[in-house]
Amino acid sequence: MTWQQASLLLFGGSTALLFLGLPVAFSFLVVNLAGALLFLGGEPGLGQLVRNGSASITSFSLTPIPLFVLMGEVLFHTGVALKVIDGIERLIRRMPARLAVVAVVAGTIFSAISGSTIATTAMLGSLMLPLMLQRGYHPTMACGPIMAIGAVDMLIPPSAITVLLGSLSGISISKLLVGGVTPGFILSLSFIAYIVVRASLRPAIAPNGPLDEHRGWERVRPFLVYVLPLATIFGVVVGSMIAGWATPTESAALGSMATILVTACYRALTPARLFAALKGTLVISAMILFIILGATTFSQILSFSGATNGLVQTVTSTGLSPMAIVAGMLALLIFLGLFVEQISMMMITLPVFMPIVNQLGIDTVWFGIMYLICMQLGLLLPPHGMLLMTMRGVAPAEVRMTDIFKAVTPYVAMTMLLLVAIFFWPAIATWLPARF
Amino acid sequence: MQTISRAYGQLLYLCFSLACLILLAMTVMICADVFTRNTGLADLSWSNEISETMLSAMTMLAAPWLLRQGQHIRVDILLQALPARAGWACEWAADLLGFACSVALAYHGWLVTHESYLGGGMITKTLVTPEWWGTAPWVLSFSLLSLEFLFRMDRLRKAEHRPRHDAVSAS
Repeated sequence: MTWQQASLLLFGGSTALLFLGLPVAFSFLVVNLAGALLFLGGEPGLGQLVRNGSASITSFSLTPIPLFVLMGEVLFHTGVALKVIDGIERLIRRMPARLAVVAVVAGTIFSAISGSTIATTAMLGSLMLPLMLQRGYHPTMACGPIMAIGAVDMLIPPSAITVLLGSLSGISISKLLVGGVTPGFILSLSFIAYIVVRASLRPAIAPNGPLDEHRGWERVRPFLVYVLPLATIFGVVVGSMIAGWATPTESAALGSMATILVTACYRALTPARLFAALKGTLVISAMILFIILGATTFSQILSFSGATNGLVQTVTSTGLSPMAIVAGMLALLIFLGLFVEQISMMMITLPVFMPIVNQLGIDTVWFGIMYLICMQLGLLLPPHGMLLMTMRGVAPAEVRMTDIFKAVTPYVAMTMLLLVAIFFWPAIATWLPARF
Repeated sequence: MQTISRAYGQLLYLCFSLACLILLAMTVMICADVFTRNTGLADLSWSNEISETMLSAMTMLAAPWLLRQGQHIRVDILLQALPARAGWACEWAADLLGFACSVALAYHGWLVTHESYLGGGMITKTLVTPEWWGTAPWVLSFSLLSLEFLFRMDRLRKAEHRPRHDAVSAS
């Protein structure tokens, strides 16, 4: 079988099964079975498939996936996250479009202590959107910041998707996590600047309502009591790594334990809430890990069949410059993001993209951060962006889908600009990881 | 059939709950390792190996319950675009493939595990463990998944003739 036929069978087969509605993990497992029979020597290949699959998730480097998700789940299930919003709102009373800015700041803080974008968006959407609409915010001004900052969660560590990308691509997980910090905060600050400028020019789209009556200690108390202690969780994760007390993997466990202890100190943690958080964590992480089980062998079969080599040779022999090839890969990712969810995107593209990136000597951290931004865009792009659907799910009926599409447009534009900026100035993504 | 399905669902939930406890135990164990290593109180260097085994075990134990809950993410863009009956037909095709795949993987998992058990193969890292321990959860998980695909098809048969609303994102 030629490498073109093998590519068609493996990529075409997995894509067809994905669109048939078979769960992602099983789509790859079905193709793996066929691939093992054809390319790994039949019966011995099937045995190898079992051993590889088992070994793929018996890996200490994957333990941050459930642990990062657990941090966010504990905060959301104990209700401590709600107090953060109150604390921030009291502190920034006079800022134009105060609630929209609060949504972005709270979203950034949640991003730094949670690894799930959907959870962040759903929570901010259900809590803040009704309040903003009630105060007379234009729907686009109310929905946009929440969706946009929800997507940034993917960039700001801890992020389960970043760990998965690192694990599947072979890029250093800790460098990817650290590399997401600068672009993530640039986006958060850009969003705040945009909201403030727009609300200053057209105050009617984001009326601030009556000023908060709290003064002095009462004004800063929620911030000091509920927001600052949460920073210690982020401090535990990053500090333990920098101090050399824990590996990046172990720091995720310390972060989870710190979250459990902080919520226990607030007397918000009960056995039932802890169990609910564990269940929420396992739903997300077991599903991700099960996909990894299918994906690992898929990459190996692609390689054995000659498809990877053939595709890499074809791309690298086109005579295009490495920058043009990277641009093409990013364009393909953005296009895929219109139709395919993030994990499937990784499964389909990484087995081919990474050998090309490695062969061309491209900085993998730079490429990985741009890859994450493309996936982030996929969450926001119509018609099937997952955060658009999440917002539709939590928004009141009077907010139309067209409002949601319009709301997200400026933030998509800002994210695109950041992607272009990182493409031409890689230091935005690579400067910080290079320091560690 | 409904009673059996409900009882089977409870078994899957029991496995899922056990996986939750494993996750909690894993978190505590890694923290204990970091603490004792930095304070010099004890040497828990074996904990990394136990943790990765726990990670694999909890994934395998949780996977069948996730299938029951429709939480194994998928791409449903085509299913939702097709006429309802055609989408329903795709669900059948997907379930049949999922069933066949699970049976094949459970069977080959059993062959590998049995062979390894008879051969007495060992894995030597910090701890020395029998090789078959690594693949046994695979056999259990895919056997449970095979049965769950059968129950899933039974539910599909009785349900309205349209695609399901299973999870579509993990972000």
